[in-house]
Amino acid sequence: MRFLLSLLIYITCLPTALAAVNIFTCEPEWAALSKELALPDADIYSATTGLQDPHHVQARPQLIAKLRNADLLVCTGAALEAGWLPLLLRRAHNPRVQAGKPGHLEATRFVRMRGIPQRLDRAEGDIHAAGNPHIQMDPRNILRVATELSARLSTIDAQHDGDYRARLNDFTERWKAATKGWKQQGRALRGSKIVVYHAQWLYLMYWLKMDQVATLEPKPGIPPAPGHLAKLKAQLTANPAKMILRAPFMDARPGQWLSKQTGIPTVVLPYTVGGDVAAGDLFALFELTLQRLTEAH
Amino acid sequence: MITGLNWAALDVSILGPAFAAGLLVVVSHVPLGRVVLRRGIIFIDLAVAQIAGLGVIAAQSFGGEHNAWVVQGTAALTAVIGSMGLYALGRKLAHIQEALIGVTFALAATGGILLLAHNPQGGEHLKDLLSGQILWVDWQQLMPVAIAYLVLMGLWARLHNHGDGPAFYLVFALTVTISVQLVGVYLVFASLIVPALAVRRLGLIPGLLIGWLTGALGYASGLVASALWDLPSGPLIVWTLAASALLVGAVLHFYAPASADQRAGV
Repeated sequence: MRFLLSLLIYITCLPTALAAVNIFTCEPEWAALSKELALPDADIYSATTGLQDPHHVQARPQLIAKLRNADLLVCTGAALEAGWLPLLLRRAHNPRVQAGKPGHLEATRFVRMRGIPQRLDRAEGDIHAAGNPHIQMDPRNILRVATELSARLSTIDAQHDGDYRARLNDFTERWKAATKGWKQQGRALRGSKIVVYHAQWLYLMYWLKMDQVATLEPKPGIPPAPGHLAKLKAQLTANPAKMILRAPFMDARPGQWLSKQTGIPTVVLPYTVGGDVAAGDLFALFELTLQRLTEAH
Repeated sequence: MITGLNWAALDVSILGPAFAAGLLVVVSHVPLGRVVLRRGIIFIDLAVAQIAGLGVIAAQSFGGEHNAWVVQGTAALTAVIGSMGLYALGRKLAHIQEALIGVTFALAATGGILLLAHNPQGGEHLKDLLSGQILWVDWQQLMPVAIAYLVLMGLWARLHNHGDGPAFYLVFALTVTISVQLVGVYLVFASLIVPALAVRRLGLIPGLLIGWLTGALGYASGLVASALWDLPSGPLIVWTLAASALLVGAVLHFYAPASADQRAGV
């Protein structure tokens, strides 16, 4: 018993003995961004994968353990993780990553929010008062969060300040060049009418000036009911759209039904890094997204 | 999915509150589970747990979500009414009691779906109700639960000799109302039935002691395994409870064979 206890104590103290920065991210896009900006020895953990819906997480002991040892938490914010992050923060008792500390980074605070509701009412579905939280599919947002993330790393790990600045500059340069290419490629998509399952690509639509004409969900978070689908069918028969978009973790059947009824093709887009085997980092995520969109077009 | 072992999650301060919650549930449920088994009303707890859950959902959807007392009161009241109804039906229509319990379960479960049809987090609420979130429990939450269980067990110890009356249904409904919110429907069912099943041939005192031990072993191994293999704790504990009951059942069979089932009157 005593051996087990000392083993436990040894194991729980182990991570603090290492000097590397521990980063806990809620979503894989922030883990990928951290990988670009932090030093190679940083320990980066993402609570969700690209094939999971970040609105929900099943309670696992490792989540608490990882957050307890974290020096920096990077999450989307805007209530995307409202269902589980507050509980996790309370259970982890880690003062370094509580709200208001440099170790607590909410990405949505550093970008211009879209889709802020005119009127707040629970009857309107799963709406976020702070606006649409799915910010990562506008490359300009990635750059804004990158700047803040790098600054936080410099605050937490001041002795490597120079390294962090160099990595940020390098990333910014590569990212700006890539963004220019994607923008060029996306020019053909301008003005295309798009149907989505959930309003997950709002920022991509703004960036590429596409037009979201309908959502399969009658209200955010509410699965489509027969009446709503019938209305969509009528609307899209009269006024067709180019494609129906869906994330890998969203229900495929409503979109397939609508596609069969209207002849509009469905496209599965990686919603984030890891949402497709070919979307292994942020660059690949945007390349694949643009490729899928232009192919369907 | 399973990538190596995660020793860092094996931490008393992470698993401790969940284990304590499990112990509270085991201690209070094994005695009730033995009664449920003896009476052959196995699925009553699924029905009553669902009714209690329905009460919580109803209270929340009708605006009481910010007042914990309103929610708890509604849940308890719903569960007591439901279980008293099952008791009355069981006396009048004993030959179809199990069928009625099944129908009640289906009605309560689908009632929750209907009530949450327009709630965006509805699906998640329903899943929480079933598989629970035992890991989010913290020490502060456990104190009132422990006191409530103690009162209910004291009540049961005084009343259980007074025939097969409604006392059992009352204590049962209130206990399940508390535990279903703590650990979810599946774990309530498993904690109630599985250890009691392993010790069904034993008398009162050895039965309770070994039943509690079986439950404690199930919760402890489930939590450790969920830490090591990074799996959701609640569903995994249901499986380790079953494994621990099999183990204990096999040991008991080896040391106390014979057709003791008849002797115990099961």
